[in-house]
Amino acid sequence: MASSPDLPRFRRRLALGILLAALPLGAETTFYQDRIGPILDRHCVVCHGPEKQKAGLRLDSFAWVMKGAESGAMVLPGNAAGSELYRRITLPAGDDEVMPTDGKPLLSREEIRNVELWILGGASATKGVAEFPGAPALGRPKPAPVALAPDWRPRADEIRRLETELGIRLVPRSQQAGDGLILRTAGSPRRGDDATLARLAPIAELIVEAELARTPVTDAGLAALGRWTNLRSLDLSRTRVTGQGVAALASLPHLEALNLTDSAVDAAGIQRARAFPALRRLWAFGAPGMVATEARP
Amino acid sequence: MHSPENPFARDPHLCSDHAGEGPSIWNLPGLPDALRREWLALETRRHFLGRGMQALGWAGLASLLGRPLAAQTAAGPAVLGPHYAPRAKRAIYLFMAGSPSQFETWDHKPVLQRMFDQDLPESVRGGQVLTGMTASQARFPIAPSIYKFAQHGQAGHWVSELFPHTARIGDELCVLKSLHTEAINHEPAILQLTTGNMFPGRPSLGSWLSYGLGAMNDELPTFVVMTSKMPHRTNVQALSNRLWSSGFLSPEHAAVSLRSAGDPVLHLNNPPGVSGDVRRAMIDGVNALNRQLFERVGDAETNARIAQYEMAFRMQSSVPELADLSSEPQSTWDLYGEKAKEPGTYAYNCLMARRLAERGVRFTQIFLRSWDQHSNLPRNIKLMAEESDQATAALVTDLKRRGLLDDTLVVWGGEFGRTCYSQGVLTAENYGRDHHPRCFSMWLAGGGVKPGLSFGETDDFSYNIVKDPVHIRDLHATMLHLFGLDHNRLSFRFQGLDQRLTGVLPAKVIDGILA
Repeated sequence: MASSPDLPRFRRRLALGILLAALPLGAETTFYQDRIGPILDRHCVVCHGPEKQKAGLRLDSFAWVMKGAESGAMVLPGNAAGSELYRRITLPAGDDEVMPTDGKPLLSREEIRNVELWILGGASATKGVAEFPGAPALGRPKPAPVALAPDWRPRADEIRRLETELGIRLVPRSQQAGDGLILRTAGSPRRGDDATLARLAPIAELIVEAELARTPVTDAGLAALGRWTNLRSLDLSRTRVTGQGVAALASLPHLEALNLTDSAVDAAGIQRARAFPALRRLWAFGAPGMVATEARP
Repeated sequence: MHSPENPFARDPHLCSDHAGEGPSIWNLPGLPDALRREWLALETRRHFLGRGMQALGWAGLASLLGRPLAAQTAAGPAVLGPHYAPRAKRAIYLFMAGSPSQFETWDHKPVLQRMFDQDLPESVRGGQVLTGMTASQARFPIAPSIYKFAQHGQAGHWVSELFPHTARIGDELCVLKSLHTEAINHEPAILQLTTGNMFPGRPSLGSWLSYGLGAMNDELPTFVVMTSKMPHRTNVQALSNRLWSSGFLSPEHAAVSLRSAGDPVLHLNNPPGVSGDVRRAMIDGVNALNRQLFERVGDAETNARIAQYEMAFRMQSSVPELADLSSEPQSTWDLYGEKAKEPGTYAYNCLMARRLAERGVRFTQIFLRSWDQHSNLPRNIKLMAEESDQATAALVTDLKRRGLLDDTLVVWGGEFGRTCYSQGVLTAENYGRDHHPRCFSMWLAGGGVKPGLSFGETDDFSYNIVKDPVHIRDLHATMLHLFGLDHNRLSFRFQGLDQRLTGVLPAKVIDGILA
């Protein structure tokens, strides 16, 4: 029932293509920039960087790494086994001196091997990636989190007040502030009406998911939803919204998932929804439009 | 040690279960001050601060609906929210207690067809200690499945002919063939899957989710358990609330179990002559007394009691609506079968699970027992498959067509595997299978899991895992991950340890099955 081909994969490929095309030819990145810097950034810099310098050590640039700590050099070029940096990252989990400390995840085998090869190869700032043919590839680094909505925390008081007055809930999607809010009505579906949606307009940009199943929302409410520009997922199942109302959602640039199960949406409305710019998942089981489609020979 | 104004501290030698007359936990003789402070801080954090803005939002809602605000905040669960954006908002766990054989369900072993009644090679068994039920057998004759397998769908899963409906939804399923456990008997094995530990007393999976994520619908429990009527009864395991208790977490995180016959929850209706207002006034009065008790004694169980009164009051309206199936269209009965109209059947429970999911219940666990086929396996597993196959497939299909499968994780499986050799006499038509902890099959669907995937492999005898082993801890870590929770960080301090569902042994998220 849900719909289109795998767009995100296509987009990723497209993005990769553009990225590769944009890289200047001939300017090969160094092994330090490509491998060692990112490893240190991921595991070490939070305690050994611009914010904190535990043991007087910074690891956020090649120069700092080679400068070492209060106690002396961290890296002895050519001598991995004798390098304090290497010793610390290869101690067993739970050892008093193992780094990273405090139960943070240890370096992977591949990361350790890259550090080892880099030290053995002279701890160079300039050698290219191609000069380390035996270095295992690192797992793809986690993509930087993309904020789906502005940070809601500065507006917490306003959000609380709206929850109290409207009898709905505005729940953070996760502890990452950029993940936005969920409008939740499962415990009080009757409160999720058109008037409530109108009242939420001032904080609408913070809402990424709207759970409006079983609410009395109508097409008039959808007109208001059409201005919730960060909405990604909208559940309108078991509501009275129609195909006319759905048209108002065409303006939502990020709407990926739309649930019209058991709504009053007709075939034209479903056609309209299929054309939404970002829509990837659409359900309309039990809606008149879908029933008609299914009944067709 | 005992303040004179505390009437509950009269005799330090009384046990705390003497009608509430014992010393409170923070008055225990010799309790170090540091520990007392930690405990007090814990209570305070759990009940007042941990929920951040949600606590205040909920309190606001409570006051709006005319409920006493203090009772709400005092009893509210410590909601921290997901660590990162979740793929699953809810889960439905279809627990096949007793353990269906992997040979007749998901782990197709054609090589065994040519080895009927041959002895299991000693090299395969590798000196493994067997259960008392088969250890004394003179020989271990290989028993191939008498049921045929065929490949289905785009995914090409091999599915047993016992499960024709499930075979049709194969493309939705991620079949894991390499689960393993240390437990070799039902009770510890079921406990390990439901609570992460073979010893009773730990919080169950659903309780951890309730603790970490809170309720989506305050009118219904966050965690619901249903047991199912059985088509036959052989070697039936006892189920009890130790499988769905909250352990050391606050008791409001325990499951509410819906009854399999009659009213789903007993005594929900007010007696004749008692109006809703009278009931409300009574609960307010009882809660006020309980709050006084909490202030004096400081026992978290008192707050849980307050929460339970409130939940019971709210369920007076929410449960009858939940259990009223009159609005279900004919397409529902076509899908689940007529048996879904009979309360307590597995099919009915599956339909209820969909209705609970629609209403925002986080975790629903359905138990279906009597899969423990030490003898007469061919006959009895067929009865079990016939009882459950259509409803299982119906649930996944229904969730999918209603747009719920996207963020609902469905889990199907038992607590361990079974042996490739026959327990007792092997004939062409009959055999039995003993417990086998080294490998077993489960499947997952929806909720951010890769559909149509077969993960992990066993050897030709489904005796040892040869690729991608998945420990129960890994399964738990993965399930929490799908809910946006890091299993290393979802913890609760108890007995001096930051306790976790996955315990202290290594556990890993199974990246290979994430969509």
